[in-house]
Amino acid sequence: MTTAVQPYRVTPARVLRSEWHKLRTLRSTWVNLAATGVLTLAMGIGISAAYDGTGEGGLDPVVFVLLGTQFATITLAVLGILATAGEYSTGQIRATMTAVPSRLPVLWSKAAVLAAVAFPLCLWTNLLTFPLAQAFLTDTDQAAALGDPGVLRGLVGNAAALTLLAVMALGLGAVTRSIPLAVGAYIGLVMIVPEVLTMLPYDIVDDAVRYFPSQALQSLTAAQPSPGEATPGAALLALALWTAAALAAAAASLKRRDV
Amino acid sequence: MITAQDLTKRYGDRTVVTDLSFTVRSGTVTGFLGPNGAGKSTTMRMILGLDAPTRGRATVGDRSYAAHPAPLTEVGALLEARSVHPGRTAHHHLRALALTHGIPKSRVEHVLGLTGLTEAADRRVKGFSLGMGQRLGIAAALLGDPATVILDEPVNGLDPEGVLWIRNLLKSLAAEGRTVLVSSHLMSEMALTADHLVIIGRGRLLADTTVTDFVRHSGAGTVKVVTPDAADLVRHLTAPGVTVTTADAPGHLTVHGTDAEHIGRTAAAHGIPLFELTPNTASLEEAFMDLTHDAVEYPAALEGAAA
Repeated sequence: MTTAVQPYRVTPARVLRSEWHKLRTLRSTWVNLAATGVLTLAMGIGISAAYDGTGEGGLDPVVFVLLGTQFATITLAVLGILATAGEYSTGQIRATMTAVPSRLPVLWSKAAVLAAVAFPLCLWTNLLTFPLAQAFLTDTDQAAALGDPGVLRGLVGNAAALTLLAVMALGLGAVTRSIPLAVGAYIGLVMIVPEVLTMLPYDIVDDAVRYFPSQALQSLTAAQPSPGEATPGAALLALALWTAAALAAAAASLKRRDV
Repeated sequence: MITAQDLTKRYGDRTVVTDLSFTVRSGTVTGFLGPNGAGKSTTMRMILGLDAPTRGRATVGDRSYAAHPAPLTEVGALLEARSVHPGRTAHHHLRALALTHGIPKSRVEHVLGLTGLTEAADRRVKGFSLGMGQRLGIAAALLGDPATVILDEPVNGLDPEGVLWIRNLLKSLAAEGRTVLVSSHLMSEMALTADHLVIIGRGRLLADTTVTDFVRHSGAGTVKVVTPDAADLVRHLTAPGVTVTTADAPGHLTVHGTDAEHIGRTAAAHGIPLFELTPNTASLEEAFMDLTHDAVEYPAALEGAAA
């Protein structure tokens, strides 16, 4: 029992492996990921096949083809929230934090694992959806090729934005420790707050709103961001800061509060 | 060795644990007793670093639990509340915990075998009975082959078979030389396995003693006597400190303040026949109730609160 040599030890790499194991051994993870990919693909092909060629108010071709990723902003966020808040609702968090009492490696690992799963999934889904959907769009105003300016950047940018949104949601889950609260906070921040703010008659608010998560996602997805939107670089930075803020709040909460 | 030093925990204005100090010595089984709500679980959570003490300190060996490089090898814990995701299989739950420490798969298989869960290893935990869930918690506690095991109310809600299993487990853990801290609100359960007792009530230490001393000092030893010459015997037994109460049936006596040997000799010396002479050593449960009864009632009376 008590041995001179102690081979067991908690290391960041081991916590990372543990979190990867936890994510992949839940059926809900695979259902979620499958739904994310299928909805984007089906929606992209569906609307493209149904498109009659008359302009939809000049939507960006990448934004148009990736309309299905609206679902991914919810499904991947839920996956992130389940990874953190879900552990509190099941009680798993007590086992997790007993094994890793320094706590923070768990948060970083959860974020890293989620990002490592979400980004490739979104990227490959987008790279598959774009050509398949475009097959229906030749000779319409939505026709575009992968080599056109900004198209590839839009497809990659969208995947990066969805990944950052999911990690931000994971942080919200760790702060609220409740699935419904975290989902509410996420939807409020991503969908409701910017809508309400734009109704305020101040220019500065309009300027600020373009750096909100869902507006940044839009800028990053578009092949050619419209003049009222943030540049892709600024949008990526803004989203990264939102995510960093959520993770910082999660880390502070995790360190300070009782499990 | 676990040391609690002036442990105090407040949640808002509610103080759950107050200046609690005790030591769990290596290689002993220590029963951690108290009525429900006495602060046992909170104390255990503070030892494991899940809750931060408002004041004071808990250490495992030479440092706090969280400061150990491989905490699961120092202390294994079964908490009262379920600590497992119901959607994962028993095997994957243990494997995820093992991975944090680099504990090999073979050890996961081993603890599944120890707890009789090998057959159920690939079933999702949501289908587990209370007893199986408890076994899984114990498998997790033993994962790091820890020198110290903390079990919070391990028999709570278990069927007789499960209770027996836990009892045997405690004995085998003790036989292996492990330090065990086991909480319970049932003194009788502790009597079977514990050497040492730490008793708390309303977050305060009431007794830190051995099982033997606890019974000895409880002073509740009585002797049951059945004799046809009750009046005669009572006359001869009368002495300072000795009280005799007559029980329900004629000739049935309960004697306080002396022992069976003295009663037997007295009866023989006076030719009084005895049909029964039974020393009734205080049960742990009675002594425990006496102790915690006051701890529970005193503050209630102080606050004028109705029970």
